Amino acid sequence: MDPSTSRPAVVIDNGSGYSKMGFAGNVEPCFIVPTVVAINESFLNQSRTSSKGNWVAQHNAGVMADLDFFIGDDALSKSRSSSTYNLSYPIRHGQVENWDAMERFWQQCIFNYLRCDPEDHYFLLTESPLTSPESREYTGEIMFETFNVPGLYIAVNSVLALAAGYTTSKCEMTGVVVDVGDGAAHVVPVADGYVIGSSIKSIPISGKDVTLFVQQLMRERGENVPPEDSFEVARKVKEMYCYTSSDIVKEFNKHDKEPAKYIKHWRGIKPKTGAPYSCDIGYERFLGPEIFFNPEIYSSDFTTPLPVVIDKCIQSAPIDTRRSLYKNIVLSGGSTMFKDFHRRLQRDIKKIVDARVLLSEARLNGEIKSQPVEVNVLSHPIQRFAVWFGGSVLASTPEFFTACHTKAEYEEYGASICRTNPVFKGMY
Amino acid sequence: MILLQSHSRFLLQTLLNRTQNLEKGVELDHHWVEFDDVRYHIQVSMKNPHVFLLSVSLPTPSSETIFVCGLPFGAIEAIKAAYGNLVQILDPPRDGFNLTLKINLSKLPSNQEQKHAFLVKVASVREVVLGAPLRVVFQHLAARTVAPDMDPVVALVHRPNESFFLFPQADKVTVVYPMRFNDSIDTVLATSFLQEFVEARRTAGLNNTPPCSWSLTSPLELKGVPSDSLSANAGFVTFVIFPRHVEGQKLDRTVWSLSTFHAYVRYHVKCSEGFMHSRMRRRVESLIQALDRAKPDLEKKISNNRSFKRLSLKDSRTNSFS
Repeated sequence: MDPSTSRPAVVIDNGSGYSKMGFAGNVEPCFIVPTVVAINESFLNQSRTSSKGNWVAQHNAGVMADLDFFIGDDALSKSRSSSTYNLSYPIRHGQVENWDAMERFWQQCIFNYLRCDPEDHYFLLTESPLTSPESREYTGEIMFETFNVPGLYIAVNSVLALAAGYTTSKCEMTGVVVDVGDGAAHVVPVADGYVIGSSIKSIPISGKDVTLFVQQLMRERGENVPPEDSFEVARKVKEMYCYTSSDIVKEFNKHDKEPAKYIKHWRGIKPKTGAPYSCDIGYERFLGPEIFFNPEIYSSDFTTPLPVVIDKCIQSAPIDTRRSLYKNIVLSGGSTMFKDFHRRLQRDIKKIVDARVLLSEARLNGEIKSQPVEVNVLSHPIQRFAVWFGGSVLASTPEFFTACHTKAEYEEYGASICRTNPVFKGMY
Repeated sequence: MILLQSHSRFLLQTLLNRTQNLEKGVELDHHWVEFDDVRYHIQVSMKNPHVFLLSVSLPTPSSETIFVCGLPFGAIEAIKAAYGNLVQILDPPRDGFNLTLKINLSKLPSNQEQKHAFLVKVASVREVVLGAPLRVVFQHLAARTVAPDMDPVVALVHRPNESFFLFPQADKVTVVYPMRFNDSIDTVLATSFLQEFVEARRTAGLNNTPPCSWSLTSPLELKGVPSDSLSANAGFVTFVIFPRHVEGQKLDRTVWSLSTFHAYVRYHVKCSEGFMHSRMRRRVESLIQALDRAKPDLEKKISNNRSFKRLSLKDSRTNSFS
């Protein structure tokens, strides 16, 4: 028997904002780090101009530059402290854009963070449901050629988010996954573990837009935040203080009546001068998440609220799955963590569905009564890394190892085997 | 990152996290595997949030390595010397592990720096345990003696079912690594990497480093060793360690570098594969650019135009007449 199947598989969920990595069978990922690489490119630029004679020195400089990079929080602090490092975000909108940076990122994940030998472990990676087969091939190529992994499975992140709920309640692999990450937001219907590709809806509003909106609100009110820090402050404010309101007008009134209770303060230190500053956090606490429900307050390009998008998505799915889809709407991704987000979503979807049922009953003159449609929006405490947790659950089942593409298969058939990944039995 | 760090990043992060919020009771049960099949398991229960249980399992030793009570020789003493009375060794260890340590987090030194240093030491438990026999040998070397009850050839485990070999003498210790790789490409890369490694030793400025050599066949010192533990597809690397390499502060670093040499080579082989890929990608991109530039202008114009052109009435008339 292959000894690597006796070791826990490595589960890495690369998101546009944060990457979650760890070993299968655990409840939490070992590390959650920003998906960012700081590369020292100063070597590369000078090599062209200098003379031919010292090519050895150039060569060595190039080799050193190859090892001179950082990922995650180290990268952020490095780029802040010195100007020789350039930040590169390998994943944008849920798709890998820069494969060089991605390969380096994986290399550091494996060797510096998880400190495991990639030849010893099966790997489970994730991708967005809209990823092209070519990029899956590319991932497979890097994993098998560079890291020599014994086996690889590339899972769709929304399916994993569903699988995360699978242990806590019933074995339900049908549902709608509302995945709002930092860089991408999708509504993905899944039936029996298969993604209904034609009904996937994506919205151009994601966690980053909430941050930008908060930043904009604070800037317009003239808060005393140093400009170079304002994005980071907005992000912190979003993560710590934002919540979902049930009604904006009421919320405005509440804030105006009792400002002391609702207005929070932010204290920070200016990075350049080191002087302390403080600013107020007011309406943006509930207006930030509001852009999902009333997008027109943020941009005029996209004005469909999230509940309507979800309803449209379910209405476009096959008719026999719709009831069970309404019953199991699962949230995943960091930007669904706002307090009471699921309550608001459930209420709004329920409203739309009830209105439609009433309409159809009125059309039939009340002759036929339809069964009420159950709407459930589920939220669980591990929502932030639900995808990773689902991966951890899946990869700890024995079926996982049979569903993987192995190194032998890769050598026999080539990278094209990574185009499809079987939905396997253990998931139902 | 050029060298592998001696502490486990995750273990250190968890320990720091725990000591910062000691009062908060958390249920913690985490297991993970590091390179060379060293497995860790940590446990903290809701009832006693101060007690931190850390279990470590070591790679399975091959037949020629000696383990005393499931640990390399000298390990128990090394643990006691490194951690003092802050850490308790549980006997027997947890099922499936070689060693279980019980750490009481409320009794750590109150000085921040000392505390941090201690936690880093705990996180490098692997270095302490697996490096213990090396440490014993080197301490004798620093004193220029040979341990009286030592065999002429000492085999130490560093990977599952694989060992490397030491030849302790009074004035030097010779360390031999049989290098094995699973993949044929890795073998080739490792071979040239090791040759470069030996070559680099000869450059000026590295005169004080341990002499190092590489050969395809096993060195003469390994004559008495069973031949199946000598099947190496990437040759043998030999280091000669002198007393000056293990004096005082240098001992820890030498022990760590030597006990993870194989992992170090593997890491760099993987890195170089990655770098080759990035060069290849860049090359392909530049070739595609060149191809694009070589396209004749005519073709470009066609591809830029829309394939269907709606003709107005006037156009069609001129077309038909012309």
